[in-house]
Amino acid sequence: MSSDRERAPDADTEYQHPEDDGPEPEKHCGHGRGGMGEEVNRKEDKRFITGRGDYVDDIKKPGMLHCEIVRSPHAHARVEEIDGSRAEAMDEVVAVLTAEDLLAHDLATMPTLMDDTQDVLVNEKVKFQSQEVAAVIAEDRYAAKDGAQKVEVEYDVLDPVVDAEEALEDDAPLVRDELDDQEDNHIFDWETGDKEETDRVFEEADVTVEEDMLYQRLHPAPIETCGAVADWDPGKDKMTVHMTSQAPHAHRTLFSQVSGIPEHKVRIVSPDVGGGFGNKVPIYPGYVVAAAASYVLEEPVKWVEERSENIQTTGFARDYDMTGELAATEDGEIKGVKVDVLANHGAYNAAAQPSKFPAGFFNIFTGSYDIEAAHGSLTAAFTNTAPGGVAYRCSFRVTEAVYLIERMVKVLADELDVDPAEIRRKNFIPSEAFPYESATGWNYDSGDYEKALDKALEMADYEHYREEQQRRLEEDADKLIGIGISSFTEVVGAGPGKQCDIAGIEMFDSADLRVNPTGNAVLRVGVQTQGQGHETTFAQIVAEELGMDVDDITVEHGDTDTEPYGLGTYGSRSTPVAGAAAAVAARKVRDKAKSIAANELEAAEEDIEWDRESGEFHVAGAPDRSITITEIAAGAYMNHPGGEEPGLEATNYYDPPEMTYPFGSYIVVVEIDRETGEVDFEKFVAVDDCGNRINPMIIEGQIHGGLAQGIGTAMMEHVTYDDNGNVTGGDFMNYLLPTANEIPNFETGHTVTPSPHHPIGAKGVGESPTVGSPPAIVNAVVDAMSEAGVSHVEMPMTPDVVWEKLDEVGLSHQPARNVEFSVEDGEHADD
Amino acid sequence: MTDETEITLTVNGTEHTVEVEPRRLLVHAIREDLDLTGTHIGCDTGNCGACTVLKDGEPIKSCLMFATQADGAEILTVEGMEDLPAADDDLHPLQEGFREEHGLQCGYCTPGMLMAGKALLDENPEPEEDEIREAISGNLCRCTGYQNIVRSIEYAADELDARAATDGGAVAAADGERSADAGGEADTFCGLEDCCGGPDASGGDHAGDQFEREYLGGEET
Ligand code: FES
Ligand code: FES
Repeated sequence: MSSDRERAPDADTEYQHPEDDGPEPEKHCGHGRGGMGEEVNRKEDKRFITGRGDYVDDIKKPGMLHCEIVRSPHAHARVEEIDGSRAEAMDEVVAVLTAEDLLAHDLATMPTLMDDTQDVLVNEKVKFQSQEVAAVIAEDRYAAKDGAQKVEVEYDVLDPVVDAEEALEDDAPLVRDELDDQEDNHIFDWETGDKEETDRVFEEADVTVEEDMLYQRLHPAPIETCGAVADWDPGKDKMTVHMTSQAPHAHRTLFSQVSGIPEHKVRIVSPDVGGGFGNKVPIYPGYVVAAAASYVLEEPVKWVEERSENIQTTGFARDYDMTGELAATEDGEIKGVKVDVLANHGAYNAAAQPSKFPAGFFNIFTGSYDIEAAHGSLTAAFTNTAPGGVAYRCSFRVTEAVYLIERMVKVLADELDVDPAEIRRKNFIPSEAFPYESATGWNYDSGDYEKALDKALEMADYEHYREEQQRRLEEDADKLIGIGISSFTEVVGAGPGKQCDIAGIEMFDSADLRVNPTGNAVLRVGVQTQGQGHETTFAQIVAEELGMDVDDITVEHGDTDTEPYGLGTYGSRSTPVAGAAAAVAARKVRDKAKSIAANELEAAEEDIEWDRESGEFHVAGAPDRSITITEIAAGAYMNHPGGEEPGLEATNYYDPPEMTYPFGSYIVVVEIDRETGEVDFEKFVAVDDCGNRINPMIIEGQIHGGLAQGIGTAMMEHVTYDDNGNVTGGDFMNYLLPTANEIPNFETGHTVTPSPHHPIGAKGVGESPTVGSPPAIVNAVVDAMSEAGVSHVEMPMTPDVVWEKLDEVGLSHQPARNVEFSVEDGEHADD
Repeated sequence: MTDETEITLTVNGTEHTVEVEPRRLLVHAIREDLDLTGTHIGCDTGNCGACTVLKDGEPIKSCLMFATQADGAEILTVEGMEDLPAADDDLHPLQEGFREEHGLQCGYCTPGMLMAGKALLDENPEPEEDEIREAISGNLCRCTGYQNIVRSIEYAADELDARAATDGGAVAAADGERSADAGGEADTFCGLEDCCGGPDASGGDHAGDQFEREYLGGEET
């Protein structure tokens, strides 16, 4: 993606040390300021470790009512009648709401982020299992549940279609018959790249390979589910909604549009949020029902979903059925890439991505490689499954793209019988080629892919494991070794606003910095944290820029009444966009402070210099005559220079000129039990490059967490449905999150290649590990069996799936001990 | 509701009498009747452990027990940790460990993890890594990848051990906690390799230097 502008305003090269792998971080001991690169302990931790966090479900208001949603047991059914009278007759039940009640307030439907229209409560037809049919409002959460059980709904059950391919067949049940122009389940077709040129390259190629792969349906499943407390104040005509929101400002605008309440009369507060990962970007019916109920009943109403409701109805992720193809020369130079995708979007087109990108940033599928020809096509279909397609710890489908290309490179390496590290090296975009424009039009800012790969290979002891792998094969050992590599590139930090918008709102972000008379400061940002540690990292940016002490800066976020407008936290955009805004706002404050410094030091403004090292202004040539921002702050309020406005504050709305391109190389060594198909992680190395680093401790934590999610993706997680549209993987009994027992220790490393257009050279890192690790893991499992001809194993790679593969290619071992056991000991064999 | 029963719960050392329906879950009694919202709810199937508390010293999932089943019990929740003897009027070493080792991100699983960690260290003061992993395997964390949680618990084990050593091995019986000594040895230097080489950030006279004020309350020493 290219932009009109060449570079960001205020791009500052002072932080940039590209040849440097980064010094080992300093643990913040209280002597440095806690600026860039220091391992400052998190400011937010104290409230969480003492049980003082304030999550939505912790909110209690006088008179607060509870909302329970009545959900459809069927995946596809017409609602014939809803009888809420038995529920309404209950003492503690205050109201039963149906679509009819909402229609009266024009709240029966809501727009999705992709401009579809979703029923808040089912109007005529249920389109997926557990869809919202009615709501019971009661004085107590138990009473609300009792009430929900007493609501009687008569359904006319229809045949559902859950599979995207079947949904596109001529005789498939029509999911969206309420839409006038919708005669089938086809939503849209999307295309990218140059088909003709790519076809030509494929025709002329020495070698081509092809592989089908499903990126299965996942759920972000943060440990806190979604919820809201809506509180309509009839005295002020104001709606306050505390909700689990990753994007409170955008949600305020949408709430206002849906409800008709003017935007200045809507306040959204996103308090402490127990993880988001993309799950809390969309608006869900529960939020709207709570707000509608509060409006109608004039009491606060709480809605908090249960885990099964969370997994079964709120935004799923992925569900891309992909076919990838590569064309290459016989010595492994990749000439072209093709990809065709069938996307299951569920019952509504409710993907969460910039509106001009129906397939998100999927067209970054050329990855880290210099490939001259690329073509991609995609078809999206409606099915009788929950709507979604959210960016689960992902920058809008970059995860699917990275999986595709990193899997395909392994497939090609095996076809050509070359080392998967070598084939990557051969095809990497060379470090001197940046800024680099890809075949599908992305403008990569900076990268040094080979360096990251080399570092990972060394950390992983690659050669040793290759030898060990051979040895085990030769000895027919019970455990096979597989080594997987992924050298991914991400694209994060959306905007620029002209290209990226959410529901029309350009994807800038903001920071508002106010220095108080006593020398401390408050930074308010338009993004919102769900565990990323913004209260610490953003304070570090300001500490660095202003020479202040990190503990003297408080970061506030999440309240639309007090924070500047921003688009929220997802797509790893907080550091690239709001982090930039914080740095620019701090520099504006520094500019203003300069004239005050001159005044205080009784010198001419031109003679005042900023010394980043000491964090002070001083008079040129006289380093002793110095003054800090803390001291200047008093001057700004008590002795401000004539002709200047008093006070010391600045705001910046930052529209990034470009996205940033973090990258890395992950190497996974697995050991596969040939008797059971069980996969153990022998080594897990992650080398990441996110440009200049703000807080290495927090970065490492983000990497660990994302890698664990990558393991969940590759090994365990799948939202499954049966043919009737019943969710069979819809709670924590059946949708398996990895525990501490499934997650190994990770070895992390880093290189530093700053972004040339970002004010502090940072790139964003939160999603790299979830994006980069699944293909490394699958590549490792495939690698263990590739000599026997295995080219792919579908995720999640549960032991039975792996064992079947082993068996298919003659690599399985019979569980010898057990066989003996059952033959010799008949009694136990019967057990 | 009509059929409410009166039960007694001693939570974090304070006795409470509450009227509950027989079906009321202990987690709701703790969160909603006693307003101790540090204990969380993350699932409806008993899998996540966000609701873990100690009941008579044993870790339990408070979403899997009716409040009436806990009648007469002693309950410890995260809110009670700062009052334990080992906390020494400040943070408990486990809490410190989670902060020092970055054992939390969103913080939602953290109270349950602290409780699981507490139960483990009460039983086994020097756990191996796999024992820690096993002990917290009933608690899901979606943010951290567990590695730093393991380190956090190890930090607490070491800290408690060091204190016991300076105590001459005296271990207080109260609450299964070792008695706490104040903060270990006082370093003259900040104690971090390759750092500033300056004096201990938690003590000493910093008057006049705005950048050398007391920072982390001496946690680094
Ligand atoms: S809430 Fe108790 S185990 Fe999940
Ligand atoms: S810190 Fe977020 S769930 Fe553990």
